[in-house]
Amino acid sequence: MRLERGHGTREKGHAMLELAISAGVMVSCLVGTFQFGYTFYTYNQLVTAVGNGARYAAQRTYRSGSEDVERGNAAIRNMVVYGDAQPAPEAAPVVPKLTPAEVEVRWDLGGDGTPLNVNVAIKGYTTDAIFRSFTFDGRPSVQFPYVGKYAAGELER
Amino acid sequence: MSVSMFLLLAVVGMAFDLGRVYIARNEAQIFADAASMAAAKQLDGTAAGLERARAAVTALPDRWNLGTEEFKGVVVEFSADGTQWDTQPKNLATLRYARVTAPDNPVEIMFLRAVGGPQSFTVPARAVSSTNPVRLTE
Repeated sequence: MRLERGHGTREKGHAMLELAISAGVMVSCLVGTFQFGYTFYTYNQLVTAVGNGARYAAQRTYRSGSEDVERGNAAIRNMVVYGDAQPAPEAAPVVPKLTPAEVEVRWDLGGDGTPLNVNVAIKGYTTDAIFRSFTFDGRPSVQFPYVGKYAAGELER
Repeated sequence: MSVSMFLLLAVVGMAFDLGRVYIARNEAQIFADAASMAAAKQLDGTAAGLERARAAVTALPDRWNLGTEEFKGVVVEFSADGTQWDTQPKNLATLRYARVTAPDNPVEIMFLRAVGGPQSFTVPARAVSSTNPVRLTE
């Protein structure tokens, strides 16, 4: 009888040890899965947002006056961040905590100042996956050819 | 234990591999959109315009697989009516559409293959743009 009881206690100990090891492995895997899953989800949203912003930028009227260019770039950044060039004051970003300052808009201009391409990229955006954060700098990035109307000079105000 | 490991790999695979597949699909579609617009922009009814259209697609810097890989095997086709497509069109003056297909974007599957999934998953993309004005039509 004593021998049997001892054997049972040893089995319980093995089971406890096995549970502790496998639970550690499983929790680590689940944490990793959450981190990568959430980060991929965020990256995918950024790709969509940058694509939408670049499509919008490629088709809007480009005025070469410096104020107009800056106003246009602000509208493009808003399109990326809020999905709307002129968002409502309480509009929420399409990607959590993304701000217009984290969107870079760059124009490739021809010799006469005509826009040829527009590049839209994410700069220094950090996503918080709870256990770890990831920073996207220069990615995602897309280039679209400019196919909108070009108007030289400032818009009269 | 082996059953739970199987399930665990399946869950990890769903999150990791399918996440990458969705991103690649999105990146490929954006590339196809931009490339078809770039090609349509160059069409002017001349052979030189056709060459410029092909060169514009090649010169596009957009990447896939988390922005790391170039698109390979990209097909550029042209059409006068949006139904008959040709990579080497004869009647250049009538061309009104450019179609770009990015057919070869295989995402390597890392976890799902361990539980019976495929080795890779291809995410093709296609877009059509019209000329004058250059707009995406498909």
